[in-house]
Amino acid sequence: MKTLAYPVVQETLYYEQMPNGLSVYVLPKKGFQKTYATFTTRFGSVDNQFSLPGEQTTRVEDGIAHFLEHKMFEEPSGDIFATFASQGASANAFTSFDRTAYLFSATEQIPANLTTLLDFVQNPYFTDENVEKEKGIIEQEINMYKDNPDWRVYTGLIDALYHEHPVHIDIAGSVESIRRITKESLYQCYRTFYHPSNMLLFVVGGVDKDEIMELVRHNQASKSFGESPQITRLLEPEPDAVKLPIKRSELAVSLPKMMFGFKETVLPADSEQLLRREVASKLMLEALLGPSSKLYQQLYDDDLISDSFGSEYNSSASYGFTMIGGDTRDPEALLAAIRSAIEEKLATGIAADDFERVRRKRIGGYLRMLNSPETIANEFTRYQFRGNNLFELLPLYESVTLEQVNERMREHFRWDQMAVSIVDKAKT
Amino acid sequence: MRLHVMPTKRFKTFAISLYAGVPLAESSVTTTALTPFVLRRGTQATPETLAFRERLDNLYGAGFGFDIYKRGDAQIVQFRMDVINDQFVSSGTPLLAAALKLLGEIVTDPALEDGVFRGKYVAAEKMTLQKRLEAIINDKIRYAAERCLAEMCRNEPYRLHALGKLDDLPGISSESLYDAYRGWLGQAELDLYVAGDTTLAEVEQLAAEAFRLEPSAGAGAGYARSEVGQAAEEPRTVIETLDVSQGKLNMGLRTHIGYADEAYPALLMYNGILGGYPHSKLFLNVREKASLAYYAASRLDGHKGICTIQSGIEIANFEQAKTIILAQLQSMKEGQISELELSQTRAMISNQLREMQDSAFEMISYDFNSVLSGKSRTAAELISAIEAADVEQIVQVADKVELDTIYFLRGKEAQLA
Repeated sequence: MKTLAYPVVQETLYYEQMPNGLSVYVLPKKGFQKTYATFTTRFGSVDNQFSLPGEQTTRVEDGIAHFLEHKMFEEPSGDIFATFASQGASANAFTSFDRTAYLFSATEQIPANLTTLLDFVQNPYFTDENVEKEKGIIEQEINMYKDNPDWRVYTGLIDALYHEHPVHIDIAGSVESIRRITKESLYQCYRTFYHPSNMLLFVVGGVDKDEIMELVRHNQASKSFGESPQITRLLEPEPDAVKLPIKRSELAVSLPKMMFGFKETVLPADSEQLLRREVASKLMLEALLGPSSKLYQQLYDDDLISDSFGSEYNSSASYGFTMIGGDTRDPEALLAAIRSAIEEKLATGIAADDFERVRRKRIGGYLRMLNSPETIANEFTRYQFRGNNLFELLPLYESVTLEQVNERMREHFRWDQMAVSIVDKAKT
Repeated sequence: MRLHVMPTKRFKTFAISLYAGVPLAESSVTTTALTPFVLRRGTQATPETLAFRERLDNLYGAGFGFDIYKRGDAQIVQFRMDVINDQFVSSGTPLLAAALKLLGEIVTDPALEDGVFRGKYVAAEKMTLQKRLEAIINDKIRYAAERCLAEMCRNEPYRLHALGKLDDLPGISSESLYDAYRGWLGQAELDLYVAGDTTLAEVEQLAAEAFRLEPSAGAGAGYARSEVGQAAEEPRTVIETLDVSQGKLNMGLRTHIGYADEAYPALLMYNGILGGYPHSKLFLNVREKASLAYYAASRLDGHKGICTIQSGIEIANFEQAKTIILAQLQSMKEGQISELELSQTRAMISNQLREMQDSAFEMISYDFNSVLSGKSRTAAELISAIEAADVEQIVQVADKVELDTIYFLRGKEAQLA
């Protein structure tokens, strides 16, 4: 077991890799009642084409990682939620672009709950019947999102930005694609992506690190998984240009929703660059468009934005884009106003005092985030899968310079790399 | 103003909440809702919004926000701040003192012109509130839940939305809003909470300097108990049509039990067994057995004594889903509750109550329940009462529960089978 100390944020992390390849991290939080654990595989919605050595390339149905997540909760003995409930734990799971996480939080029976978490995720049980039954449930989940304007404008933008990259495919898939999913295809994904060497366990809370590690060692030693699969993930080449300059849909909303974003064409060379780019991009967005920017206040005064206005940066080794927008009475006017303000900043650069202010704000936000065991576990895993470390972000925020952020801005905002997504008011 | 301080070293921040509550009333609901929107624009010392927000950023991105909601028959404005503990950063000013000073300015010393709120801020925030009210329809899950409650309580103050009424907005001026604000500040129950590495003595001193209030202000008689209306003889069904893909089936039930009552722990058990969790009857029967929904759950407003049910279904499956939900309500009345359901629900509720200790804001909101209800009950006491609640007590709760309203939001073209 390795000890990783981060004195600046007063946290100590313990790490061990099991003989089967599973990475285990334990973060004791003194005085905390709760234990929160996530068991995550590097298998998300973007992993839809892959191959193993000596095998043909597999192209799986849209939404299969999410479908698999739903089905993992079923065991021959019944629904695993019931087992967690009997042990006083609330359990859940989520699927994102790049991973699937299973989790619980509990204040008692931690060994039993941790064992349940490891065992149910490492014991798939799919039948023709239980796979069929799940389709009705997921269809309702898809329909629920269809009615959600925030989700529609968000996914609409990614779809407009990307031609080929699977990040543009809805995580849950479509009603049609999930109907084609079979127990055989689920087992194939399971065997490929749920090997312990492709997974990370994170345990945080009022726990004893030695007890937790010992439990995991025993649990894993009692199971056999075979050789670690050498997964090759395949991506079709993505053109530099956006797919659609503008994508529109309609829903019953009070005001149009608009988001626009810029697609990166040059991808970072390594994980270090990826992280630096993320940090600089977030500072850039906060300085330009955050609630304490002059632009934000002006747009608010002109009644072009509301409190729903925001921006974010999304990136991985294979894609990267910004998302900017919110509810607006006039999408075209909003876009034009932001464009002219950004062009002005491209010429003058971000001011030094604005930069220092947003840097402080983001450092505060980072420290505040470390109060939440849930966020720590989820963000740590996300960064780790990309080759970065959540606990090493503070020095990066402290060392990034205004010049770097200004350079990032000039590199990112290229109008021919922009797409717009609008959810209009449905005509009645 | 009543002070509540929770000293702890568990967090990297200080969490601050100020609750300001008044009775929910037709005549004041909109001005009360609009007030915090205007207060967040600036203070006498920092009247420009941009400078005001820069001030927050410079406190290492101190979080500031507010919520407006109903609890029982009270309209509560909750101001929240959190600021990091100085020991993590090299800050020149003590951050807790600076945060409380700012909160005090926001609530008691706002930016004014000619003795009333700035006209520009009032106009802009009226527009913002108008958009917020109009946007309720965007989130169909919340919209259906709120429409169901509004229909159910159409003859009680509880029908009012916590954000007020659109119709009131045009008639509000800087003068009338400022008058309403002064009245609100004079009349509201005020409870200030601080959780973090501090002491009551320190907060007492800081709060006295930060808030420009009369010594007696905000510590009135406390909150009144909510009136619980009678359900109609027969449940009323309300069907509404909108451009949606998925139907939303909601139900409103009157429990006739409130937070302060002896039977409240049994009511929590009732709600948990019926629909609070993924092992509950609604989830198992509507989702897992019949595959009709992705979500099917129940929720409790313990201060109002109302339990609500919500589910998202195929529009054509309305009758089938309704039949299954009604059968679950009936099985609760008949005491068809297994030992397993009891033990699972007890374990889940107890776990939630223990987990609260790890979040400063959750600890604060739990404690505020005792202020609201006048009934002091620690988490440990509530856990013991949950452990002791048996099937007989839960059936007694079920006997009091009356189904009042069935609300269905459906799409335009789908046909009912």
